[in-house]
Amino acid sequence: MEFTNNTLDVTSLPRFEEVKFNKIHSDYWKVILIVEAIIFLVVGIALGLVYYFQQEFRGYASYFGLSYVVLILIAVWFSRLSFSKKGFAFREHDVLYRDGVIATHTMVIPYNRVQHVALHEGAISRIFGLAKIEIFTAGGHQSDIEIPGIEKEQAENIKQLLMGKIRKEL
Amino acid sequence: MADFSSPQRQSKIGILIMFAHTVQEWGRALFPMLIVLAVNLNNKKIIVGLMTIAIFLVIAIVVGWLRYRNFTFWIDEENEEFVITEGILNKSKTVIQLGKIQQVNIGQSLLQRIIGVYALDVDTAGSNKKEGKIRAISHGLALALKERLLENSGKIKSDVSNPEASETLDASEKPFINISFFSLFKYGITSNYLRTLGVILAFFATVYENVHRFMESSKYEANIDNYVGESLALKTGMILVGMLLLAILVINVLRVIIRYYGFRIARQKGSLLLSFGLINTKSTIIKPEKVQITTVSQNYFQKKLDILELRIRQATGGEEEKKRSAIEIPGCDARERDSILKLLFKSIPEKGVMLQPNYRKLVFSIFLSIVLPLGIAYMAIPSDVLSDFLWVFPLWTILRGLMLYFGFRNYRLFIHDKFIIKQSGAWDIANQIIEPEKIQALSVSQLFWHKSADIGYLTIYTAGGNLSFQLGDYTVIKGYVNKWLYEMETSDSNWM
Repeated sequence: MEFTNNTLDVTSLPRFEEVKFNKIHSDYWKVILIVEAIIFLVVGIALGLVYYFQQEFRGYASYFGLSYVVLILIAVWFSRLSFSKKGFAFREHDVLYRDGVIATHTMVIPYNRVQHVALHEGAISRIFGLAKIEIFTAGGHQSDIEIPGIEKEQAENIKQLLMGKIRKEL
Repeated sequence: MADFSSPQRQSKIGILIMFAHTVQEWGRALFPMLIVLAVNLNNKKIIVGLMTIAIFLVIAIVVGWLRYRNFTFWIDEENEEFVITEGILNKSKTVIQLGKIQQVNIGQSLLQRIIGVYALDVDTAGSNKKEGKIRAISHGLALALKERLLENSGKIKSDVSNPEASETLDASEKPFINISFFSLFKYGITSNYLRTLGVILAFFATVYENVHRFMESSKYEANIDNYVGESLALKTGMILVGMLLLAILVINVLRVIIRYYGFRIARQKGSLLLSFGLINTKSTIIKPEKVQITTVSQNYFQKKLDILELRIRQATGGEEEKKRSAIEIPGCDARERDSILKLLFKSIPEKGVMLQPNYRKLVFSIFLSIVLPLGIAYMAIPSDVLSDFLWVFPLWTILRGLMLYFGFRNYRLFIHDKFIIKQSGAWDIANQIIEPEKIQALSVSQLFWHKSADIGYLTIYTAGGNLSFQLGDYTVIKGYVNKWLYEMETSDSNWM
């Protein structure tokens, strides 16, 4: 075997920051909205009950109602931002995941550090045929990647791809 | 050489340990009842009470014996598993794959030391608790079993009956580093001031509260308040502070000496074998290839006295376990540090290119821990009360400000081809060393208002914990991330 040990040109290495990220499936936005609707519905019913049974609360009802609506708007706005910021990419040797509203957070896991891969289907995601891919390393749960909102079939393929990569690396 | 291939029991004398363990276990559960009994004592009840205790002890002996009888362990050579079966009514069988064993600790509690047996713990990756525990085993057998468990199974199978194995065992007894009593003493008086202060304050707070409650029910309170008041207050205060400082030092020294007395490090087939402890002797093993983060820390006094502390984190499974599984080597000097580091890394870690944090890190931490709390205090506390405590404000600002300033000045990331070293801390300056091939994952993040300043965060994940660097030059950080990714992806280096 011919052995070479040329000086590495650091600037010519592939750059992770220039990778084009894939967007999360647009149906996942519906999933987020439905989950939020359920949460706000439950809270809303609770507030309604308070309104019905507590006489002295009624004077403040308009304030509560208004702030509730504002809260919903903020929550939806933030989820929208968060949704549009989420992105993933599978390179030849590693997987990248980007998210975060206030801080943009990019996580990179090389395939030869992946311990195992799992597929998770939430109840509501399943209705839209979406799944979440979970990629685990030995670095504890902080260093795991969870990519939500991927079409079931594609997710299955990605999982197979990753499993293949892991096996090859071993 | 001992043979572990067939099920075997613990040392006979282990019945005593099992008995003591049973008594301890039940005693804890029955403790409230015993107190109730003791409070309501009268002649008649004493007899009943003593009889109960006697019966309890007899049952404990029987249970201890049964536990001893039913406890067996062996190594399944075929499947390469370490098996422990135990339990009287509820039988349980613990199977640990030899390849997954991370650490085998041999230790002694006071009772075990009196009887002359040892405990052996088996620690694996992927669980939070100690999985296998043998409570009573002779020293020779413990060492042999440990040796056997830590051999990476299969390939050395024939070694079990090989006389060579016992030779290496003897070699392990010769330590290459002995940390002297004097070094431990020096370490004791120079470390952990804040932690000990916290412990003492917590202790006195509880005592004070209890005394106060007691006083309230009697009539002493008024007298005491008068007595302490006025002219004596200052003197008493000074004496108290002096005593507190002394107490911190004494407690520190005692704690360090009890915990680490007779600290020695031996080399064994490329691994480090540590043993230490005055009352309970503990021993533990460090495998260089499993070491993830090595921390060298030293403060100003320690620098003058030429001592430092090493903390080593190995690969672990559970998140909780990470905090506890750091192995500390207290009070070694620069020469000893170098020889340990050389064993772990094959060369002494060098500091490479230096990365500094942006000044915003200092500004933000000043805002967070000086401006914000003092501002809130100023707003929230009524002005007539506030005037008495106004002196706290400059004091806090100066102390905290100094800490933040030195913390900021020491906050550095050094990147070398083979080592990444993060330096941090205001008083105790810590250098966390990791090797790039131990990286599991990398993440960078940037707050949107930091985009124009081109600064951001870097987090390096390893199997022994994370290392993060805040507000460094983002372009440089990204460049190194690309380089590390390239290195990780082009080699199949062994991270564990």
